[in-house]
Amino acid sequence: KTGYRAVLRPDLSLAIGSRSAFTAAKPDHTNPNWLRVGLAFGTSAFLWGLLFKQHSTDVHEYKVRNGLE
Amino acid sequence: MGLPDEAKALPPPGIINRNSVWLGVIGWCSAMLQNALNRRPPMKSGVHRQALLASIGWFIGYHVTKHENYTYARLDRDMNEYIRLHPENFSDKEKKTFAEIVEPFHPIR
Repeated sequence: KTGYRAVLRPDLSLAIGSRSAFTAAKPDHTNPNWLRVGLAFGTSAFLWGLLFKQHSTDVHEYKVRNGLE
Repeated sequence: MGLPDEAKALPPPGIINRNSVWLGVIGWCSAMLQNALNRRPPMKSGVHRQALLASIGWFIGYHVTKHENYTYARLDRDMNEYIRLHPENFSDKEKKTFAEIVEPFHPIR
């Protein structure tokens, strides 16, 4: 390469295509936000528990109303 | 705002039902889409997000199925009640056999 093309360098700061409009810092994916991870898994577990409880209540209610129990 | 009391007499949907599976997969795919748009590995990153969105979708799907079951049961009941009250609109027409309709066959050979 000659001339100005010898000093061309790729713009490494453009490696990430988009950034949040709300923060100035770059996202750090090597240190997870364990609080958010715990809340997400905890909420999932809670929702599944709620679902199974609701289903069990529904089945019992159906049996009672149709004279099966 | 929930379903009326009579809806509880219907058999409840299973934990695995069509709407749950569909909305759960949509939640999972939206988490993977968010990963892809932020240039993260789509399936391997943010597993907590994938699990949460899939669970939310599954949960909503269960209640959508309950609502759907009640709606169709109500429509069926209203339709059958209408048929019962208006039998003159639903009488069997007298049926003819093919032998009575078909013209006699004269082969020209």
